[in-house]
Amino acid sequence: MDFPRSRAVLAALALLLATAARSAAAAKTDSELAAVKAELTNTRNELATTRAQLAVTQDMLSRLSTKVEALEAGGGAPSAAAAPSGPRIPPVNADNPAISFVVDTELTTDTNVHGWDFSLQSGELFLSAPVDPFLRAFATINGSSSSGFDIEEAAVVTTSLPWNLTVKGGRFFADVGRMPHWHDEALPFTNRPPSIDRIIGGESQAEGAELTWLAPTEHFIQLNAGLYNTIGADRNEQLRAEGFHGYRAFDELTWLVHPNTYFDLTDTLNLEVGGTFATVAQNDQRKLYGVDVTLRHQPGTSSAYQGFVLGAEWLWNNERFADVPVGFDPLSGETLLGHRRFDRNGGYAYLETFWNRRYSLGVRADFAEDVQGDVNRQQTYSAFATWMPSEFHRLRLQFDEITGDVKNDQQFTLQWTAFMGSHSHGFAMR
Amino acid sequence: MASRCAELALAVLLALALAAPVSAALRVVASTPDTADMARQIGGDRVEVVTIAEGSQDPHKVPVKPSFVTKLNRADALIVNGLGLEHAYIPPLLEVASNPKILPTGPAYIDASIYVQPLEVPTSQSRAQGELHPLGNPHFSMDPVRGKLMAKAIAEGLARVDPAGAPAYQAGLARFTALLDRKIEEWQMLAAPLRGVKAVSYHQDLTYLAERYGIEMVGTIETKPGVPATPAHLEELIDTMKRDRVKLVIREVAYELPLAQKVADETGARVATISSLAGGLGTGSYVDAVEANLKALLGALQGGSSS
Repeated sequence: MDFPRSRAVLAALALLLATAARSAAAAKTDSELAAVKAELTNTRNELATTRAQLAVTQDMLSRLSTKVEALEAGGGAPSAAAAPSGPRIPPVNADNPAISFVVDTELTTDTNVHGWDFSLQSGELFLSAPVDPFLRAFATINGSSSSGFDIEEAAVVTTSLPWNLTVKGGRFFADVGRMPHWHDEALPFTNRPPSIDRIIGGESQAEGAELTWLAPTEHFIQLNAGLYNTIGADRNEQLRAEGFHGYRAFDELTWLVHPNTYFDLTDTLNLEVGGTFATVAQNDQRKLYGVDVTLRHQPGTSSAYQGFVLGAEWLWNNERFADVPVGFDPLSGETLLGHRRFDRNGGYAYLETFWNRRYSLGVRADFAEDVQGDVNRQQTYSAFATWMPSEFHRLRLQFDEITGDVKNDQQFTLQWTAFMGSHSHGFAMR
Repeated sequence: MASRCAELALAVLLALALAAPVSAALRVVASTPDTADMARQIGGDRVEVVTIAEGSQDPHKVPVKPSFVTKLNRADALIVNGLGLEHAYIPPLLEVASNPKILPTGPAYIDASIYVQPLEVPTSQSRAQGELHPLGNPHFSMDPVRGKLMAKAIAEGLARVDPAGAPAYQAGLARFTALLDRKIEEWQMLAAPLRGVKAVSYHQDLTYLAERYGIEMVGTIETKPGVPATPAHLEELIDTMKRDRVKLVIREVAYELPLAQKVADETGARVATISSLAGGLGTGSYVDAVEANLKALLGALQGGSSS
């Protein structure tokens, strides 16, 4: 009996010891856990502090880098350009358009009249500005010794039409040939070629609308089509003098088509070719054909200011005029007036060579006929020299030898031209 | 007959339009060889870059050719040097290019000058002071440190036009900037003999370059920016050069050599021919161009002539 009793005592004792040991172990684990947890919290806090310090250091580093970059770029300038909000373009005053004024004055002597003539060839005010994101507008107001003030151009041009289209409307120089739509001061001569003067009637001023299409190709092809009351400064002046501005039939308007294209023959030599067709359909009243060719040598290197432009233009005009002499009354001998068709033509060719940064020399030959009545053929041979003390200041001397049915003459012209303000001829008068 | 001709013409034009090569790459027109090379370095295969001005040209007198119009018409982006450097040719070309997105107000007009702090910003814009640039001197591309700022503006511009390529442009920028950083360190050491050297240039376009290498500019052969030399100005310049012991006449390749040589001969200076645009000295890349300019300056200073 003793043996089982002692076994039971021993078992109870062992159980007691085991329980005590487990309790002691559990107590130790809790304290360690608490310690590790505290350590984790501390480490987390240290990490947060380190992160904050790192952020401060990174910020400092970034600011120092920016400063170094600014100092390097600015070469000692206090700061680099501020973070940009867009491209840098010359300041535009929304309330004022770009304004320029051209003073184009001449001294002419003529062997026929044996005298001298000072004249203001052109005093031209040019205004231009964007109107809104879709439109720009421009105006040219011109006065001269030979004619009073005139609004030569006042037109609007679209800037963001799709399909490479541009529409121009108002009064402007219609896109006839090459030089008929150039302003006087942009010409390489002191005067407009006489052939252009006679067939077009001065600049190709017109009131109407014009559509330009640039072909979406690698090769340059541009097509202009226009519809106008009439074309030519003299014809417009006549219309205004007659108090014109009544309605007219569609086929009484002047239609124009002018395609032109361009070829880079070499890196420095290029050719531009254009054709013009204008018509007034009613009674086949007018047909004007033209062709213009320009060959340019533009080295553009250390001999940048050397090169040449060879240009030529020819116009054929077939037109039916009203109220022109058609014969004589056999009884009274008086001049009879009526309709008559005239087929006239004319053109010019010129070569301008650029010898220096500011000097050029050129020659021109022109053949002109009157557009109606007697032919009055005239050949004009000219030589001209241009000196540009700066980009906005020009002196030009021209000699003209004139031979013709009516007059033979020699003229010397000294032209002095200055450009004030924001003057740019743009692409059309390149 | 007339209608048949019109139909034929239309068919030819349509064929031309359809025959035009189509490329997946971004079509970029760069106004100068410098910006073109940077765009190629940054954009890699993602861009197809054509340049308008050539390296040997005077950037103020680049001819306005109609063939540039078609390039601009088809461009996805236009990169300009900026600060009005291209005033003679970019505005008239944009006037007829029929591409609103590359106009200065458009999203694809990338101005490489936006991070550059301009120097010589005129306080008066009178033309009595010559042909001034209203926004400041635009000839900063010759300074490679500012070249880094140009590259940054170009990379950001390309990413704006082609957001999908932004990581590639950033990587391209990082590569290009790292290359420039290495070279700049090398160039600064090479340029040590130029520090304090007195020089005249033909045009007032060396302000940034001179500042980078410590060259002291004492005048220009031009009377005023863009205004050719007058006899009185040359006489005064030669006196100044003799008095100040000017060692270098720096002639930009776009300007005439004989006058620069004459001024150098009369003053005992040497002519160094450099290029204000990349490629003007026959180099291919922007980095090569900067190096060629530096070597030309050092060559002339050390007894040779780079004319």
